[in-house]
Amino acid sequence: MFPEIISPQILALIAQATLDTLQMVAIAAGLGTVLGLPLGVFLATSKRGELFAAPVTNAVLGTLVNATRSTPFIILVVAIIPFTRLIAGTSIGTNAAIVPLTVAATPFIARLIEGAVREVDQGLVEAARSMGATPLQIVRKVLVPEALPAIALGLTLAIVSLIGFSAMVGAVGGGGLGDLGIRYGYQRFMPEVMAAVVAVLIVLVQTVQTIGDHLARRLNKRLRHA
Amino acid sequence: MNAPVKPDAFRIGTGPVPDPVPPIIRFEQIGKTYAGRGAQGSVAALSGIDLDVPRGAIVGVIGRSGAGKSTLIRLVNGLERATSGRLLIEGEDVTGLTEAGWRTRRRATGMIFQHFNLLSSRTVFDNVALPLEIAGTPKPEIEERVARLLDLVGLADKRERYPAELSGGQKQRVGIARALASEPKVLLCDEATSALDPETTKSILALLQQVNRDLGITILLITHEIPVIKEICDRVAVIEDGRIVEEGDVFSVLTRPQHPTTARFVEAVTGVELPAYLAGRIRTKALPGDDTVLRITFAGENATAPVISRLSSTIGVDVNILAGRIDAIAGRPFGSLLVSVPTREPELAAVLGALNSLELKAEIIGHVS
Repeated sequence: MFPEIISPQILALIAQATLDTLQMVAIAAGLGTVLGLPLGVFLATSKRGELFAAPVTNAVLGTLVNATRSTPFIILVVAIIPFTRLIAGTSIGTNAAIVPLTVAATPFIARLIEGAVREVDQGLVEAARSMGATPLQIVRKVLVPEALPAIALGLTLAIVSLIGFSAMVGAVGGGGLGDLGIRYGYQRFMPEVMAAVVAVLIVLVQTVQTIGDHLARRLNKRLRHA
Repeated sequence: MNAPVKPDAFRIGTGPVPDPVPPIIRFEQIGKTYAGRGAQGSVAALSGIDLDVPRGAIVGVIGRSGAGKSTLIRLVNGLERATSGRLLIEGEDVTGLTEAGWRTRRRATGMIFQHFNLLSSRTVFDNVALPLEIAGTPKPEIEERVARLLDLVGLADKRERYPAELSGGQKQRVGIARALASEPKVLLCDEATSALDPETTKSILALLQQVNRDLGITILLITHEIPVIKEICDRVAVIEDGRIVEEGDVFSVLTRPQHPTTARFVEAVTGVELPAYLAGRIRTKALPGDDTVLRITFAGENATAPVISRLSSTIGVDVNILAGRIDAIAGRPFGSLLVSVPTREPELAAVLGALNSLELKAEIIGHVS
């Protein structure tokens, strides 16, 4: 791409940083979904009079989610270092960075999924109840499948945000594209590295968004025409 | 229309009567009160509901929105719980049933909805299969049963389509197939045709009637449309402000409404309005040479008698037809006719006497020149 401006060594660094970013984002998004899906479904179904009515637990979890979401990510990263060390065994490096990324992604994804599930027509829940479905069956067979197109869009948004967040974990030696851009592009006065990093990030975000939109459209059976 | 005649099918009046065949659903003094929140008081959605749904019948509950009919139908499958009274289903008191107990019961009760409530993410086949999946039916049996149901509702060629690709009538057919999947004894219809055009409504009603007749499924439906009652119901209950104000076999209630609410509903289908050109000229006091405007209501056996020609030939008066409508209610003729006859004695008295002897209701609307 830039053979004259960027040395093969730097190119290798960019390639490695891209892989690191992908790895961090993929694992954090995966874990965030595994944890955020049940949390989001619960938040969407546990207010008074709902399927799993537990208004107190709902309020407590809701507050916890809001607290995590209102903490700026860079502060969250530093604040949970002891927790990170407990989970990852270290607070430095790509693996360690996955911990704060997951902690930030989970409540974010939970809220997105809550929103998607709340959009599902209550008439469908009533229909499933009228068939004798248990609350868990309603979640598995009605709420999640019906919310899937919106969930796919939400996860796309979450992944794009995570790519942005991942640039900040350089502060704790997390590696990845953001870290490379700051250390080489800014601190070593190599604007071409900065430009390359930004270009790769743009391509990444663009790709994720395109795949996400496509998937959401594929999953959405409401837009088909007779 | 060929539903078996129930012992009390032509009973007029309200309240439970001793019945040789116990009803499949019996409401006994059912009340439902929604607890108020904060400053708001509690709201009574239903009170003192007594209603029997005979086995194999099609029973309609008609009322305006907010009258309590939605709540009433949801009591039958436990989506709503009564706060007073007793609900008996197949003789069993289900008033105190737990949610788990209701879940089992719901599998023996089908329900269809005004807005169909089909899953957009599932094909027609998978929508119909849903209740069977929920009940844990083995795959091969699901396959076999769903195919049979899609045949029944005439959608075998649409099994891999999604609801978004179907018309409203087709969606309701899927809804009916889905409701029948668990082989219920009772089908609940919640405004099932209210979102459909008149033509489609007719075909869906015909399907419901076929389901009732061929599969022996009892149908309880709620509606705000009197044509639905007229078309397929055996019995009707009129509900207003959470109370049943009139109940009985469809023909009696629709042809001789006792309650003003019923009368208003009935007017829409059986009433005949005075034509506008006459309405302005009609007066209550007769002047010499005037004609008298009569409304003759036909019901039952004499509805088909050649009344007008008989009046002309036996009494020798000219009968002028102003407006009229003859219809079938529950398979029996019913109608009303606006006519004018000369205001002249003794002919007028003879006309009224003749109508009276045929047991036709005649009322004098007024006089025109």
